[in-house]
Order: sequence, then structure tokens, then C-alpha cells
Amino acid sequence: MFPPSTKFLVVDDFATMRKIIKKVLTELGYTNIEEAEDGKPAFQLIQDSKASGQPFDFVISDWNMPGMSGLELLKACKATTDFKNMPFMLVTAESEQKNIVEAAKNGVSDYVVKPFNAMTLKGKLERIWTKHNTKAA
Amino acid sequence: MGAPKIDQQNPLLDKRFVNAFIEGVIKTLSLMAQVEIEPGKPSIDSQFKPKGDVSGLVGMIFGSMKGTMSISFPKVAIFQVLESMLGEKHTEIGAPVADAVGELTNQIYGTAKTTLNQMGYAFEMAIPSVIQGTITVSKYHNGATLVLPFTLKSGATFYVELTVS
Repeated sequence: MFPPSTKFLVVDDFATMRKIIKKVLTELGYTNIEEAEDGKPAFQLIQDSKASGQPFDFVISDWNMPGMSGLELLKACKATTDFKNMPFMLVTAESEQKNIVEAAKNGVSDYVVKPFNAMTLKGKLERIWTKHNTKAA
Repeated sequence: MGAPKIDQQNPLLDKRFVNAFIEGVIKTLSLMAQVEIEPGKPSIDSQFKPKGDVSGLVGMIFGSMKGTMSISFPKVAIFQVLESMLGEKHTEIGAPVADAVGELTNQIYGTAKTTLNQMGYAFEMAIPSVIQGTITVSKYHNGATLVLPFTLKSGATFYVELTVS
């Protein structure tokens, strides 16, 4: 599993979802968590954090946001050498196959469909950790 | 997969249509807020008038069918849900409460929409609005409103209201 020092970025236009995800991450022992309200400021934060020498280790982003969507943020990260291997999880209320396929095609680590509970999110984190560490091995 | 059976004349008479919303409410609140709720007996209201102190509304469009879903909470009910969901105690309906009602509306509609679209409907996602206080909505409405009550363990009741025209 990801170590407790893992630095998370939680991106959602609804403060409530950011709070819920932060609450679950905190319950799992993570304390290094930052937030963004949209894809565009999120990407800026990702770049700034890298430049300051304290890059994010994991992004959890909503899919539907009014400015830059989660999918666009994913594409921007994957198109940047520094961030292309960073674990990236999408949160979506849309469980239709077309979205899941599109996210997978663009290299998402995993996705979680709302509504979900803490156990589901924990399971997804474990799967992503295994996936990324298996790749690195 | 057989052809979908859709009662486009009046989906509020279709038990599967109504159940999609009941299940959406139960699933969303049990997973996100860990609260147990009991659906009550549906009733018909001649007006579309959200009954609570804060309500989330979302428009639903499918072909020529137009509808509205609202989830309406009295203060006591939404404060209990938020305490369980976020660990936050609220005593006033302000921006954080409105944000939470919007997100819950979004998830309940999203869950119901997925079920309905599997039945053959083709609803799209829509952005919810949140209102405080009581209003009467007349736009999009020329029929009856189906009122679905839900009761929390504490006895507090909130309502989902559906109109289709």
C-alpha cells in the first residue's frame, strides 16, 4: 500500500466530495493532502509542486467539472514526462461503459463510481499500488 | 437483450421508474453517509412544491418527456446526514450544506439515471440547482407530483419529488 507520507491532490468542483475523499484518506492514515476545485488550477498545482521539489504522488480527480474536466487533466498529466507515471484515479457518477473505456484508453490507473464507501476507495488504492509497483518491478 | 419497455405516457405509473429513484436514494445515503433510511408510502401532490428547508433540483429530459427530480430536506434531516457523512455539525443552512445537497442530488440522479438507461431510457447528466426555503415550481409541470418520503433512524423525514410531463 502507498506509504503514509504519500502526497495526494484531490480535485472536485464540489467541496463536499473533496471533504469526503479527504476524510477517507485521513482515516487511512494519510495527512499530506491538497485540494483543487477544477482541472486547470489542479494542473498548475501539480507543476508548481514538482518545481518546488515536493511533487504529488497521487491524483484523485472528479470527472465532471465545469472548467477543465478530470479526463482533460488526466490527458495533460499523461502528456507531460514528469507526470505520466503518477498514479491517477478518476471519480465519476457516470458508470456507462463508454466513459470507462475512454478513461482506460488515456491511461487512468483506476476509477471509482459515485456513490462509494471508504472500503471501496481503500480497495482501489491497494489495486493501484499493486499495479504501479508491479510495473516498476 | 430484448427491446426496452418504456411507459412514455406516464412513467410515474411505472414501478421500475419509481424504484430507480428509491434505490438511488438508499444506495447514495447508505454508501456516502452510512445512514439507514426507510422508504415510506408514495403519495400524489397536485403541486410541485419541495417540502423541506433546503432542496436539490435537477431537470430530466428524454425525448419529448420533461421532468424534475427534487430531494428536499428539513433542517434536522440534512444536519443528521451531514454529521454522519462528513463528521461536521451544522446548525444553519449555509454554503457547505447547499454544496452537500447539490452533490447528493447529483449522485442520486446519477444512480437512478444509470438504472433507467439500462431499462431503455436515455437520460443525460444535468447540473443540479439548490434552493433554500419553500418554493412552488410551475415550469415543466402540468401534471401531478409523486412524493416519495424517506425516514431516518431518528424519525426525521425527507422527500424526493418527481414530476414528468
